[in-house]
Amino acid sequence: MEGRFPDRVLPYLLLLPSIAIIVVFLIVPAVEALRLSLFEVAPFSGRARFVGLDNFRELLTSEVYRASLGVSLVFALGIVTLGLTASLAIAVLASQPLPGAGLCRTALLWPYALSPAVAGTIWALMFDPATGPATVAIRAVTGLSPNWMMDGGYALGVVVVAGAWKMLGFNIVFFLAGLQAVPRELKEAAQVDGAGTGRVFWRITFPILSPVTFFLLVMNSLYAFFEVFGLIDVMTQGGPGGATDILVYRLYEDAFIAARWGIASAQSILLFVMVGVLTLVQFRFAGRLVFYG
Amino acid sequence: MPIAALKENDMIVWMRCSLPSLAVLVLGTLLGVVPAAAQAPVKITLWHAMGGARYDAITKEIAAGFNKAYPNYVVEPLYTGKYGEVVTKAIAAVRAGDPPHIVQVFEVGTQTMLDSGAIIPVTELVKPGDIDFADYIEPILNYYTVGGKLASMPFNSSTAIIYYNKDIFQKAGLDPDTPPRTYQDLEAMGRKIVGSGAAPAAISFGWPSWMLEQAHAMHDKPYANNDNGRKGRATRVRFNEPFGVSVLERWKRWADEKLLAYGGREYAPNKAFLAGQVAMLMQSTSQVTTIEKAATFRVGTGFLPRIEGQPAGKSVIGGASFWVLKGKGRSEQERDAIVKFFKFIAQPEETAKWHMSTGYFPATKTAVGLLQRQEWFRKHPNHETAFKQIQEGPDTSNTRGVLLGNFVQIRNITDTAIEKALAGRLSPKAALDEAAREADNLLEEYNRIHGGK
Repeated sequence: MEGRFPDRVLPYLLLLPSIAIIVVFLIVPAVEALRLSLFEVAPFSGRARFVGLDNFRELLTSEVYRASLGVSLVFALGIVTLGLTASLAIAVLASQPLPGAGLCRTALLWPYALSPAVAGTIWALMFDPATGPATVAIRAVTGLSPNWMMDGGYALGVVVVAGAWKMLGFNIVFFLAGLQAVPRELKEAAQVDGAGTGRVFWRITFPILSPVTFFLLVMNSLYAFFEVFGLIDVMTQGGPGGATDILVYRLYEDAFIAARWGIASAQSILLFVMVGVLTLVQFRFAGRLVFYG
Repeated sequence: MPIAALKENDMIVWMRCSLPSLAVLVLGTLLGVVPAAAQAPVKITLWHAMGGARYDAITKEIAAGFNKAYPNYVVEPLYTGKYGEVVTKAIAAVRAGDPPHIVQVFEVGTQTMLDSGAIIPVTELVKPGDIDFADYIEPILNYYTVGGKLASMPFNSSTAIIYYNKDIFQKAGLDPDTPPRTYQDLEAMGRKIVGSGAAPAAISFGWPSWMLEQAHAMHDKPYANNDNGRKGRATRVRFNEPFGVSVLERWKRWADEKLLAYGGREYAPNKAFLAGQVAMLMQSTSQVTTIEKAATFRVGTGFLPRIEGQPAGKSVIGGASFWVLKGKGRSEQERDAIVKFFKFIAQPEETAKWHMSTGYFPATKTAVGLLQRQEWFRKHPNHETAFKQIQEGPDTSNTRGVLLGNFVQIRNITDTAIEKALAGRLSPKAALDEAAREADNLLEEYNRIHGGK
């Protein structure tokens, strides 16, 4: 069945469109970003002044940038922990053979189908400090009147929950697929041996799910670093007082609102390196715990 | 195969683009008409940031009105995003070589536009006598006049005033016709409002760092060095001096006393005011029409409250103006169209209409006269508040409004500092000091890039 190309040129021709796209949309901008990160650029004239590594030095010594890095890490940790735990729990429930399970599983996908702008607006309205139903409910139950326009910790909490919620559908689909791959015989055998539900889950289901969990860990981390931009922009704009100012939002502000392209390019390089390292670390350490059957 | 496919695609694209124009050309030749620009109207593109009720006013009233009045010219308004985004997009367009003719830039972008090298100052475009600039209300004209030259065309100018909920005032046993005049008034009234349970909180404000700028101008205090950046480029901000710190400390006390319910930046706190959650709101005058329409209670307005024991200044102008971009050079006709358009918006009827539909200043004295003759202010007193306020107080470099490079970022930094202080994460002094350090760095960077001056 193994096919061979009749000549040497055709395979390269077939690859050409993909290569062209990669070069035009990835390589060229990346090289340009690297180049720009060494300059200070005047917005209108484009006149650039070579500054060497000054942009990087400025970022690494800036308290604001370091605070933003801290926020990003907390944010990512929150989204990954909350998102994976909640979606695994929901997926286990949704995989039970119950009437209407199919409908439930479909409904669980919805949050993922919403655009970040819509999801952000929904959460912002729910938690509006003056009129939001969630605020009213919290006030009725606890007597507190939380204001996420002012209270940074609370704002970060709300954004983490919103961000994790948005990813639920994606995670659940993968967990559901993973759960269906757990062999029934193994579970039954364990039950015959007297293992309880919890033990069966932790000793059998969870290890078999580990490749899926690991994949989702990486995807959710990437999501937390890059894709939550829309949510942040709609909900908090990085505020209050920089409490939700994650790296990618800071980058957007510097690049597209302030037109400080030099320092913004430097940020994109740093962000790329950091997320690359993070992913490597995940593969190195978490990857070892994965059980591939 | 792929090559053939590519070519085929290219052909289709090429045909799609050129067939219609080809058809026009052929048709034109057949009819003996040269499809040149002799009769075609001259198109002027206008990029703006007017959302909400202001969108209709700028498109349906102003642009459509102009196009009807001048059949040879067409102004095409295009909403290009929020203020900050419009500037960034204009920068991209300038660098790509095809900028719009006119771009609406908020006051914060003034220094950047001045240094852009991409603009035609209004003084150079409009011949003396074409537009009577002496008719413009002085503070507005002063804001956009730099080094004796009018840089941009005043359009939507605003300032901040205080809005209050008359129903809540009445419920709290206060006179619904007396807004607070001073910070002490505001505090006394606020305590009564919160104490009586008439509303959960007394005051909120939008555009926090603009409010800090307003407080400086209202009390004749400099916000940055070099005469607020009007004598030469500013190199240092001064909002962390004792006056600025005392203002933020006052706001912080309000927050501690639960008088102030901070509701976010820009227009976000309007919601709390409209829901009756706060009794008073310091906000831009551009919201008068919007708030009056949306409110389910009687809305009152007053001057921004003053801080007792401080010298008198003047509230500062905000909003935006029209900048002319030169692109690769503009033809005589294009220049004429732009001037005619500016002349059009300077007409008293148009100025008055714009004011009525939005709440922005009626920018000329004749427009104000017209509105007075129509008894507009008598029927809509809230629309007059800002106009009266802006006429009080002296004209000094501190009240003309600060010009800063990288101002967009500096606003953001100051907003952050105010939020940190109000939430108690830093003391007001520490927060403003931190912000001033960052702002000074940005100013230094800006001046480095644009060459010292």
